[in-house]
Amino acid sequence: MVTLRISGIDCYYGSIKALDNVTFSSREGEFAGILGPNGSGKTTLLKAISRTLTPRVGTVFLDDINIYDMKIREVAKNVAVVPQEAVATFDFTALDVVLMGRNPYIDRFRMESREDLAVAKRVMELTNTWDLADRPVNELSGGEKQLVIIARALTQEPKVLLLDEPTTHLDISHQISIMDILRGVCKEKKLVVLAVFHDFNLATRYCDSAMLLNNGSIFSIGPIDTVLTGENIKKVFRVDMIVKRHPITESLYVVPLSISRSKITQSKDIIVHMICGHGTGAPLMKLLLEHGYGVTTGVHSTLDTDYDAACTLGIPVVSEAPFSPITEENHKANLAMIDEASAIVVSNVPFGFGNLKNLEAAKVALERGKMTVIVEETPIQQRDFTDGKAQSLLEELKSKGAITVKSRKEALSILKALRK
Amino acid sequence: MTSINLSEAEATYFKRFARWKIIIILLTLTLILTVTFAVTIGPMQISPLDAYKIIIKNIPFIGDLVRGGSSSIEEVVVLQVRLPRILAAAIVGIALAVAGVVLQGLFRNPMADPYVIGISAGASLGASFAIAFGIGLSFFGVLYSIPLMAFASALGTVLLVYSIARTGQGVPMLTLLLVGIAVNSFLLAIISIIRLVSGEAIHAIMAWIFGSLVACNWNYVKIALPFVIIGVALIYVFARDLNIILLGEEQARHLGVDTERLKRIMLASATLITAAAVSISGIIGFIGLIIPHIARILVGPDHRILIPSSALAGAIVLILCDTIARTIVRPAELPVGIITSLIGGPFFVYLIRKRKRSVIG
Repeated sequence: MVTLRISGIDCYYGSIKALDNVTFSSREGEFAGILGPNGSGKTTLLKAISRTLTPRVGTVFLDDINIYDMKIREVAKNVAVVPQEAVATFDFTALDVVLMGRNPYIDRFRMESREDLAVAKRVMELTNTWDLADRPVNELSGGEKQLVIIARALTQEPKVLLLDEPTTHLDISHQISIMDILRGVCKEKKLVVLAVFHDFNLATRYCDSAMLLNNGSIFSIGPIDTVLTGENIKKVFRVDMIVKRHPITESLYVVPLSISRSKITQSKDIIVHMICGHGTGAPLMKLLLEHGYGVTTGVHSTLDTDYDAACTLGIPVVSEAPFSPITEENHKANLAMIDEASAIVVSNVPFGFGNLKNLEAAKVALERGKMTVIVEETPIQQRDFTDGKAQSLLEELKSKGAITVKSRKEALSILKALRK
Repeated sequence: MTSINLSEAEATYFKRFARWKIIIILLTLTLILTVTFAVTIGPMQISPLDAYKIIIKNIPFIGDLVRGGSSSIEEVVVLQVRLPRILAAAIVGIALAVAGVVLQGLFRNPMADPYVIGISAGASLGASFAIAFGIGLSFFGVLYSIPLMAFASALGTVLLVYSIARTGQGVPMLTLLLVGIAVNSFLLAIISIIRLVSGEAIHAIMAWIFGSLVACNWNYVKIALPFVIIGVALIYVFARDLNIILLGEEQARHLGVDTERLKRIMLASATLITAAAVSISGIIGFIGLIIPHIARILVGPDHRILIPSSALAGAIVLILCDTIARTIVRPAELPVGIITSLIGGPFFVYLIRKRKRSVIG
């Protein structure tokens, strides 16, 4: 069982501390991501493990052997590094470069043997680079070059593979194929893989575990879904993110919001209550906040996209357990929120028996004299799953004075009238 | 593990080792032809056969096998005049070409040559002092004061450049290059001052700085040869490491190369062989810059073949240039450094043009 154990390392560049008491360990077959803002110490950590930058305090153990006690060739047999972008000067062929990975195994006075070549061939077939064997590396594309460098790292037959943003400079298809290969190798050869990522979505898709670095120390470490939470990202990167599980890949995906929550001030004078769901309300919520309105919303299932959006944007929301009808209690809470609001907006949400009560709440609001705006981008018939109950309620709202608009922009301009 | 099937690409890979052997054999044959040609050329025409007879006759043990038909004056010309000079040219050519390969590799810069870290200016300074003020004359005698002063001064200069550039972590190559340039120009200024105050000796200084093999005798050969043999052998031992350091120092370390040690040994070896060469020949330009380029075009970037073929090509080219230098304006003689620069300059421009085209196309 191969274990990489980093034990309390402090690293410095001159007098600047780049890593502060970093301790963790990683097992074979584990694909671990290192995340964090620029300057948080990600690359420094890789440098400390690859013996490029000696920690001032603490050390790195591979299977309980201090790698700083190993000979440099011994380290190269155990730890391989794939840099962000490899420079290739002079026209060595791809095979030449891959065979350089055998260097720690070849005695000074020996040439490469058939065994060395066999290792190189096996690895190049694995990385789909064997066809490039005779091509000068200078002439390869960025993606091909990076694959050659990965093949070179693998010919070292390492136990630990360190990747420093290995796909940053590549297009999306190369990113995916290279990451697929790397993850496959990690599992098959039982490697300890530590990879620095800037792209959260790549990290969530490929990593088993992750660590989030902030100012040179570990902010959070563990399974990827416990580390990469909206809250953690917000704290470390100061950016609001939506973190969700993708229904197809089942990995987390992360989308940044363009504005930081700190910029949004929930206005108290004009509050708009939104009746929405399924993500039909989120864009308008953001728009209203940006235009200085206060926003509330309800009732939402906690699995609903608009619920997530409301939470992320810091909007007061009445929520309900998933797949349950709206309880009387929550309905009342929703009405209480409506009482506080100056206007309500009914979004282009589909209605089923689960959320029909929200439309009844809108009716109550209208009866209590609240300005009511209905956004109708698609006819209600197409999104009514209540045997016409929703349709008749909506028509009743319209007949009692609710304003119907075609888009959220129109809704915004109507609401601006409230300002005056 | 013996039952590995070799595919075509693998077979191609191993064919290169055979190709390397052929390249070395061809270059060695060319060198022998060049030496033969150079021995026979001069004010006195000597046939190749006679030249061979004279040479073989004077090799211990097998010399008795040859019945000589040559006159004693021919023997003196071959053995005492031409052969030491040709061997000196070969030694200097080997040293400059190999040092050029090493420094271009270490600096990962095709513009590097053996003189970038201050060897030429350092040697010139020592030689200028020896010529202008007769320094060292009383210790070493007329013949040896110039080479020994040049040698010592070259080594001292490189040590100075190295220690200025060194940091706690090691020696950053870029810093070394910049310090080399600075020290070079500083020393050149001092040399200019010496030239200004040297009076009559200025011609001798100029002749030395241009580079010439005119003074080379067996003793010079004996001085330089051990340094060059040891230095080149040491460099060759690290040929594969030189390949790997082309990927960059950090990556080379990841592949198990102790880059700081490699740089120390390579800089020391290149400095020793260059200083040894320069001390007997003066500053011969362009060999150390161009020969590595030509060799790289011919045999590829792998130092295991690049080093020996550069060495052989350096010897061949410098012997030819020196033959031109000593025959073209007979009975006078041109400094060989002028010939190498005269031919090397345009040829280098041609190489750059060709390279530019291949980059664009």
